Amino acid sequence: MSAPAPPAPAAPPPPKKDTLTIVFDGKPIEVPPGINLIEAAKLAGIEIPHFCFHPRLSVVGQCRMCLVEIEGIPKIQAACTTPIKDGLAVKTTTQKVRESRAANMEFLLINHPLDCPICDQAGECKLQDNAFGYGEQRSRYDERKRQYAGYDRTAIGPHVVADMTRCIQCTRCIRFCQEIAGTGELTFLDRGGRTLVWTHDGKPLANDWSACAADVCPVGALTTKEFRFRRRVWDLKKTPSVCPGCNIGCNISIEDRDSVVYRFLPRLNPAVNDYWLCDYGRFLSESLNAREISKATVREGSDVRDAIVPAAVERIASEIRSTIETDGPSAIFFLGSAHLSNEENFLLRKIADHIGCGNRDVVVDRSRVRRMKSKTEWIEGDHAGANYAGARDMGLSPGPGGHGLTDVLEGRWIPQIVVVADASFAAAADDAEKVGRLRGARFLAVAARTANSLTRAADVVLPAASLAQKEGSFTNVQGRVQWFQRAFLPPPPARAHWELLLLLGVALGWGDRNWTPAAVRTQIREEVEGYDEVTEQELAGGGLMKKGLFVSTGAV
Amino acid sequence: MTSRRYAVLPAGRPAEFPPDARARIERILSRYPTKQAALLPVLWVAQETWGWISREAAEEVARILELSPAHVSGVLTFYTMYNLEPVGRHLLQFCTSISCHLAGAGGLLEHCRRRLGIDLGQTTADGRFTMVEVECIAGCDRAPSMMIDDAYHEPMDPSKLDALLESLP
Ligand code: SF4
Ligand code: SF4
Ligand code: FES
Ligand code: FES
Repeated sequence: MSAPAPPAPAAPPPPKKDTLTIVFDGKPIEVPPGINLIEAAKLAGIEIPHFCFHPRLSVVGQCRMCLVEIEGIPKIQAACTTPIKDGLAVKTTTQKVRESRAANMEFLLINHPLDCPICDQAGECKLQDNAFGYGEQRSRYDERKRQYAGYDRTAIGPHVVADMTRCIQCTRCIRFCQEIAGTGELTFLDRGGRTLVWTHDGKPLANDWSACAADVCPVGALTTKEFRFRRRVWDLKKTPSVCPGCNIGCNISIEDRDSVVYRFLPRLNPAVNDYWLCDYGRFLSESLNAREISKATVREGSDVRDAIVPAAVERIASEIRSTIETDGPSAIFFLGSAHLSNEENFLLRKIADHIGCGNRDVVVDRSRVRRMKSKTEWIEGDHAGANYAGARDMGLSPGPGGHGLTDVLEGRWIPQIVVVADASFAAAADDAEKVGRLRGARFLAVAARTANSLTRAADVVLPAASLAQKEGSFTNVQGRVQWFQRAFLPPPPARAHWELLLLLGVALGWGDRNWTPAAVRTQIREEVEGYDEVTEQELAGGGLMKKGLFVSTGAV
Repeated sequence: MTSRRYAVLPAGRPAEFPPDARARIERILSRYPTKQAALLPVLWVAQETWGWISREAAEEVARILELSPAHVSGVLTFYTMYNLEPVGRHLLQFCTSISCHLAGAGGLLEHCRRRLGIDLGQTTADGRFTMVEVECIAGCDRAPSMMIDDAYHEPMDPSKLDALLESLP
């Protein structure tokens, strides 16, 4: 009897990989698990054309545009519905793939008007791009195309216009309303060749993010009333910015042409607004074009005279100097704004410090609660200014023994001089009684772009820039510091608030005329607690939590 | 119906299921893993309760099943056998697909039109009959085929139809 063979030593388990290897067209690439083939291909720099797939919506395999060949599977496969696994070999350029894509495009175009020259989506249309990239030149379809009388060019809600002759039935809009907004207004009605997207009983598509349905629509079937036919999209220049609507601070692109803002589009930031934007914030874009204060003015007795900006600034400085002499710096009040950047609020606070004044403040109106879905969670904002947190961080609250805005508005304290860095800081600025309290000061100076009770009451008004006309950073409700860039220059002599404040500082003997917002940020890093880790690269890369708390902003 | 309306379900009376229908719905719900899955049978209960499914009935079903009314509208307009407007006591469903067509469905339809004085999609003034056209009902072997309410009548011819129309209440 032979003894049983000793058990073979267990083979060491293969080292665990946390990435998977996918071979695209013979080229291997490592990708993280949990994504699908379209996303994996994107990481490999390969485009798999698609319509219905959207990274944040459920995968439905509806459009059949994303067909690829996979080794070992005889039939052509939809890339969006194929979960990845290690070692998958995918071919995206074979004849079979090319023919399938072309055939699919031919089907999709059978009922499509193909009148891109008069369609507002042209230039940012997936159907146009994919037809150009993967379709045939000609269609064999000679018959009449489907029409949707009564369901074309019709407002489907306060912002969205639907044109069902252009719909390719991808269901992205339906899924957006169901899965992201959670309101489910849209559905497919009818069936087959007559299928169309509409609402129940003609109810309006009116959730807080309704225009995102137009964003996700790959074609011109859903467009926004506000932007439709105002500009061809290829004429527009995109500038990264931050929504001024509330303290969530959604990332946007300002799109302008010839110094006119035409629209805001969401700019991907998974940690804040992901792919989305609320309708309220989105349609603030038009308000950036208002310009009612285009010159500096100085009041002389009952006369209001135009002045050049440096002279108007010097006038403020000389009033401040003489008041310091007669009543001391504590007779002066500086009001910052939640609409102004960290840099601007910082400059204002530094000017107050420089002259030894502790009377400074920032107030903001409460708005209704706005909600925004980041990649992982809902964020809430209820401040009507984007940078309340930042303005407070910059030190714009009354210093020890100093007075704040409520002291002035409630008549407990009447300063000699009031300097308001932003004339539309809150609703109070257009309230006759409250402006009357501010006007109780001997001298009132404001910077402004639009006119209101406050600008009409002021002794000196400086012409200031809009959000699109300057650079800076806002700190949002999460404590995330986010950079906005300048889309175009303000029309002379209007200047960015930070430039005006810098002029005032220099006139009072502090600061350097040549500082830029970046130079001011260097000082903020040195002086303001929690801002020391916010580097320029990180600002450019989508924002960073202050207080050294790193949060991934990896784009999908 | 020949031309199904796209968007709007017409208004009806406020819809609240009578207790026995409610009990049926509860029994149906107990057999499905999710409420959404029970949508089709619950819509049948609605149709059997009121004879057709109004906007209010669709909204009531949506409420009970915790679905968006839009989703229910989508399902209702997808399937052709839910009546989206009131129908007569008897639903005359004429197959006009290929086999029945070749076997004379056209003439039969014309005969019925003339006899009742209504067109497809319409209901007789006395509320007895509604005429609709349907796609192949799988009675091709005995074409021309038609259904009156839930029963097949085939092969059909004008005199048989006349007799049937006489006899139905
Ligand atoms: S309207 Fe646009 S997003 Fe909605 S299904 Fe049609 S093509 Fe897709
Ligand atoms: S949630 Fe706030 S920051 Fe975001 S888009 Fe709306 S208003 Fe702008
Ligand atoms: S993207 Fe795959 S089927 Fe539409
Ligand atoms: S064609 Fe009429 S039953 Fe089939």
